[in-house]
Amino acid sequence: MNNAVDISPNSTDINVSLWLKFKSGDAVAFGELSQMHYRTLYNYATKFSSDSEFIRDCIQELYLELWERRTFLSETAFVKSYLLKALRHKLIKESVRLKRFKEPKELLFDADGSDLSIESRIIENEHLKHQIKRLNSIIARLSKRQQEIIYLRFYQNLENEDISHVMNLGRQSVSNLLYRTIKEIKEIWMPAEFFWVLLSILLY
Amino acid sequence: MIDYSKYTVEEFATDEHFRQWILDPSEETVVFWDNWIKQNPDKQSTINQAIELLLTVYERYKDDLTDEQVEQDISLLVELAEAQIGNSRLSIFINPLLKIAAVLVLISGLSWFFYSQNLRDKNVAMVNVEMITKTNHADNEMTVLLSDGSVATLMKGGSLRFPNKFEGESRKVYLKGEAFFDVAKNPAKPFLVFANETVTKVLGTSFLIKAVDTESTVMVVVKTGKVSVYPEKDYATLSEKNDREVAGVILSPNQQVVFNRKDSRLEKGIVENPDMLILSTTSQELVFDDQPVAEVLRTLGEMYGIEIVFDKETLAGCPISTIFKEETLKQRMNAICQAIGATYEVVDGQIIINSKGCLR
Repeated sequence: MNNAVDISPNSTDINVSLWLKFKSGDAVAFGELSQMHYRTLYNYATKFSSDSEFIRDCIQELYLELWERRTFLSETAFVKSYLLKALRHKLIKESVRLKRFKEPKELLFDADGSDLSIESRIIENEHLKHQIKRLNSIIARLSKRQQEIIYLRFYQNLENEDISHVMNLGRQSVSNLLYRTIKEIKEIWMPAEFFWVLLSILLY
Repeated sequence: MIDYSKYTVEEFATDEHFRQWILDPSEETVVFWDNWIKQNPDKQSTINQAIELLLTVYERYKDDLTDEQVEQDISLLVELAEAQIGNSRLSIFINPLLKIAAVLVLISGLSWFFYSQNLRDKNVAMVNVEMITKTNHADNEMTVLLSDGSVATLMKGGSLRFPNKFEGESRKVYLKGEAFFDVAKNPAKPFLVFANETVTKVLGTSFLIKAVDTESTVMVVVKTGKVSVYPEKDYATLSEKNDREVAGVILSPNQQVVFNRKDSRLEKGIVENPDMLILSTTSQELVFDDQPVAEVLRTLGEMYGIEIVFDKETLAGCPISTIFKEETLKQRMNAICQAIGATYEVVDGQIIINSKGCLR
């Protein structure tokens, strides 16, 4: 199992010389730029399709389009949220073309994490494992939209403004949805946490 | 320094420094946060929740992309990008003088290339590479296994010439007629199909080529992955100059290109009839429910008309359950081997299964 995590920050500061090389048609520089958010994009796409080959084709196509238009591009083209949004479009377009979905206009965030197996080395603590399983089942019961916003906020670590861009929502809707979602999670999550503290006090 | 003492669960969980501590800890972050928690014991529960939230999200949404795959994809991307540069550069020759100059360069390059190519071919032939030719005279499709694990399915009347072992920097095969290819991925060693004045270049994918001698066109249709198609004479200049100033066409899944042999023109389009990519005998649905793997292998072997060699004793009592629909032989072999923890290789047109017994 792969433990590599993408914690690349959302910063826009691409190395200037790399950028100039890319603009002048240096394919290796292009490869380096593409690599920066490759994992991020792949991970995001797996929430919409389980076909790894299809996903990798879509990402490839997305990047090649950037390559073709390189002389007209500004540096924002390689910003995480822009890429995520473009990939989302691409996935819809390609699915329609290959007739993968019956409902072409809609792309559902459908990450299936219901049978969570925790393999990470970092999680040794049994209590923590238990808590994670619990929280996971709470997230699983949220609506697709709520799950996506949790994913974008806490996995991809996007700001509200970037989320509104990716999900095509107004900024206010994003903060409302996020607020409501976190509140919903807390309502179930917190009492149990409290219960646990109580239990541990009684035990010791 | 940031004042973390008023941070909420969400703020911790989205703080870059905090995330680094949890997801990719360094000595610096560990020391910092251990200290911070000691100094702020009242925030322990908030911290715990932030940790739980972060880890849950990471466990829930993790993927199985390996570093090798990323590397492969990026190098393919770089390769395709370089190929495209060739495309756009050609359009620079609008100036008629430049055009003439280009033609002259092309002609001299070509003649030099053919000359040296002839020499090189002769040299290669001496390095004990044996060329094998398989021709399908039967009505059914014929499966041909290549030494790198790639699979070619020859349609009736099709004929394929290939080396018993792929030496050198590329994998070259020569096709007459119609065949479906499922190529083993190896970006370092591109797979080249020469067919009626065209060259199709791939790095690992599946696609169909129809190059019947008596027909005036050559057709290439892609099922998965990406391939580039060149007129053969252009491809020659390309490999000689070690550059890619040649107009090739890049194809994606369900796209096709038709090469007009008369005027050496490539025309790209979308596949109107995707069914042609589904092979008749091998696309029947196969259901194996808790069947001994030996039986599954025997069925596949019969179906493709190839020999699958395995040790009956080590594989005894390895039941598998699977449903096959449209997979290629390679995908099927991979699925089976993965299920029983085995590997396979192709030797002399046979598939050899290496297994140390079942996983379970």
